[in-house]
Amino acid sequence: MSNQVWIAIIAVIAAPLIGGFLAGIDRRVTARLQGRYGPPILQPFYDFFKLLGKSRIATSKTQFVWIISYLVFMIACLLFLVLQQDLLLLVFLLGFAGISFVLAGFSTKSPYSHFGANRELLQILSYEPILLLFALGVYTQIESFMISDIMASQTPLLASLWPIFIALLVVLTIKMRKSPFDIATSHHGHQELVKGIMTEISGPYYAMVLLTEWYELVLLLGLIALFWANPLWIGILIALAAFILELFIDNINARMTGGWMVKFSWVIALVFCVLNIAYWWIINKGVL
Amino acid sequence: MDIQWMLAVAILLPLIAGILVFLIRHYQTRGLIVILTAVALIVNSIYFLKLGLPTEFTPTNEVWGTIITVLDYAILLFYIYAGLSLKNWLVLIFALTQIIPLAWWEFSAGASKALETITPAFMIDQLSVVMVLIISIIGSLICIYAIRYMKDHEDHKELARSRQSRFLFWLVMFLGAMNGLVLANNLLWLYFFWEVTTLCCFQLIAHDLTKEAINNGARALWMNSIGGTAMIAAMIYIYFNSGQTVEYLTLQSIVESGGTVAFLLLPVALMCFTGMIKAAQMPFQNWLLGAMVAPTPVSALLHSSTMVKAGVYLVLRLAPAFNPVLGVTVAICGAFTFFAASVLAIAQTTGKRVLAYSTIANLGLIVACAGIGTDLAMAAAILLIIFHAISKGLLFMCAGTIEHQIWSREIEDMEGLAEKAPLTTFITIIGMLSMFLPPFGMLLGKWVALEASYAVPLAAVLFVLASAVTMVFWAKWLGRLLQVTPRLGRKIESLSLSYSVPLWSLVAGIFAFGIGVAPVFKNFVQSAVSCVATGNVTSVVALDGMVKGWNLVLPKAAAATEVIGSYPVWPLFIVFAVAIVLPLLFISLKPQELRPVYMCGEQAGDVDTDEWYCAADVKTKLQLGGYYYKDAIGEEAINPWVYVIAIALLVIMFGVVGVSI
Repeated sequence: MSNQVWIAIIAVIAAPLIGGFLAGIDRRVTARLQGRYGPPILQPFYDFFKLLGKSRIATSKTQFVWIISYLVFMIACLLFLVLQQDLLLLVFLLGFAGISFVLAGFSTKSPYSHFGANRELLQILSYEPILLLFALGVYTQIESFMISDIMASQTPLLASLWPIFIALLVVLTIKMRKSPFDIATSHHGHQELVKGIMTEISGPYYAMVLLTEWYELVLLLGLIALFWANPLWIGILIALAAFILELFIDNINARMTGGWMVKFSWVIALVFCVLNIAYWWIINKGVL
Repeated sequence: MDIQWMLAVAILLPLIAGILVFLIRHYQTRGLIVILTAVALIVNSIYFLKLGLPTEFTPTNEVWGTIITVLDYAILLFYIYAGLSLKNWLVLIFALTQIIPLAWWEFSAGASKALETITPAFMIDQLSVVMVLIISIIGSLICIYAIRYMKDHEDHKELARSRQSRFLFWLVMFLGAMNGLVLANNLLWLYFFWEVTTLCCFQLIAHDLTKEAINNGARALWMNSIGGTAMIAAMIYIYFNSGQTVEYLTLQSIVESGGTVAFLLLPVALMCFTGMIKAAQMPFQNWLLGAMVAPTPVSALLHSSTMVKAGVYLVLRLAPAFNPVLGVTVAICGAFTFFAASVLAIAQTTGKRVLAYSTIANLGLIVACAGIGTDLAMAAAILLIIFHAISKGLLFMCAGTIEHQIWSREIEDMEGLAEKAPLTTFITIIGMLSMFLPPFGMLLGKWVALEASYAVPLAAVLFVLASAVTMVFWAKWLGRLLQVTPRLGRKIESLSLSYSVPLWSLVAGIFAFGIGVAPVFKNFVQSAVSCVATGNVTSVVALDGMVKGWNLVLPKAAAATEVIGSYPVWPLFIVFAVAIVLPLLFISLKPQELRPVYMCGEQAGDVDTDEWYCAADVKTKLQLGGYYYKDAIGEEAINPWVYVIAIALLVIMFGVVGVSI
């Protein structure tokens, strides 16, 4: 029991450190790809502390509730992952986090914020079913929704669920708000000034959003690492490779429209998942 | 208390109280009668828990059977009259298709003597008791809410002659009919109560007597009459195929046959079809959407505790008598409704229509669970019935309260409601969050349903898509409520007691039942599942191992220590409290910390204005609107597809039944 408490504490502390560090690498690599020199690796942390030190300013009396909720639910998701809880429930919790961020955008009367929130909703519509199908796909392999059972299984999921893995890479792109799916934030090259929901978020609350994004990044990479849970270091390497791949995808693609994103993920990524699950369902039932 | 008195209170008291409120024209006295009836019903429903279940009861006096037969014909004759006077031929046709076979069967075919011997008339088991509790408690709260609502409603309409008495008569009587419906075992009695609910529904939808109200009421009437016709057909089919005996004319005997008696399959499918119509499953969703014209207490009652719940109750009740193919097709029909209704909800601009589509969607989910038919799926269905009743009852009453504050049902008019009516908005937001997010009960039900849905993968995929779509339409609406300019010094509005008591009771219910879901599961759901357990589908999960302290887990059937899923209720509520409740209570912004929004420097004035300099430097009010994607997924765009698929699924459903016979 106390062992689990320690795991939880370490995860809550370590995740943002890793996430911030990865964000630093992201900015550096992106700058190099664009022919710039780029900021120091630790720049995200400098930004974070600078933002924390600023005075509190808001354009709405309720927005901060949803920002705090975004952060708290994201941390809860991460705890679900490291404590090896129910995968399906983790996805639903991630849904609450996503909805909180959307509501943060809606709870101020600002046109840019609303654009961002509406587009963020389209992103949720695009990735949520894939994540849920991922959980179902895992069930076809281990007959359980518990992450602890994934960790215990000796055969890597990647071998049998590679179509879902590819679909999950699409989710990662959407979640990291990278091109061609950076619809909601429009932060290509991290240079655009009016940035969706973030437009009306400043100072310490902006720092909280950054913190949440770092947690989110670690969480998603953790989910990807589950595809090779034994030994876990291979899974982590796969996740890091996926991260680096995202940076390249980001820089060689142009931003597409929201409608295109929904169609792409529902038509292509979802079909990958559905075929994958159908295949294993038929095999498991012994129909053929 | 004696069982016959309990049944009398549950079924007949609402009728007597209804007649009293109809006769008494004094507002306060009438309100008092409604409140006393509500209290009596609630107390009585709690007494049902003390019965040794399951138990049965047949009235000793045969006059009750005669009364019911007479009233059957009275109701059907009224439908004929309604069809003729409204010149609505569909109402007329489907009244005739009920009355002619029924009269032929009972009198010409000489069944009437045998039909009087059907016993037991009532069968009370755990599932019935769960339904009685929902009907009596939530239904009663809605009746209390209606007292004040109808007064405001008529004050606003400035009617010359009050029709509140008539309204409350049908509303209160509805509860009695519903109680009878879920307790009845004799199919003829079930049919009678079924028709009474259809009648009450018609009267309440048409209450305002506008052209639209009457048309929509008539539509509800003829659609549900198709269901009535199917039920009569099922009864006659059973009677003649069991050698003109009444052996299988009770729910109990049909259910106990467990799908092994071949000739029962078609009648079971027909009655399931009846239930699906009443549960507004596609392609019959239109009657429930049309019901929106009625005053809001009607919608609240139809959607949460009565009418549509009768439909899912019947499907759930019959689930053990499905054969596997029928189960799968029912599951896919329901799952399709869940998905299609959720998509259509996105494009709705009227608040009550969003709620209606959300109801249709959730009923689809419940029907699908009944079709999947494992113990786990049944548990999901019953959890969803309970939590949906609480949340939807609350949301409709919120919608009514909002309507009486802004006199509109349009979502766009609710913009910035958080500022005009913070208390109502707060309650509405709780209601909305409880519909689709953890840690609340509906999500728990959905989680159980998804974990159970692997048995029918096509249904599982539709569930997944629908869950994602559900998030979008709720979030969109929430967004419109929340969007405010931070004007300073807003006041909390005051609500009449007749509004606030039901509202806060249901909010308390959402939290109490959400946090205490494990005891609820153990005491109600689990035993109710045993009444509708199918027996012919093996379950992967052993239900009796599911409750672990305050939390729920899914144990593997073989080894109870191993779990395949876990839902930690308490930790999730703590996360919710830390995320939302504590910040709301302990953090507040000072006025000097508020700033105007970013408008590229074109903002006119300070934080409490929302004007900006438009073209030619004209001061213009900032206007924002929601997205509805009407061109892509509006009713006009996708309804043809929806109807084609839904009808095709029904044809397939009856097709597989025909093939298996």
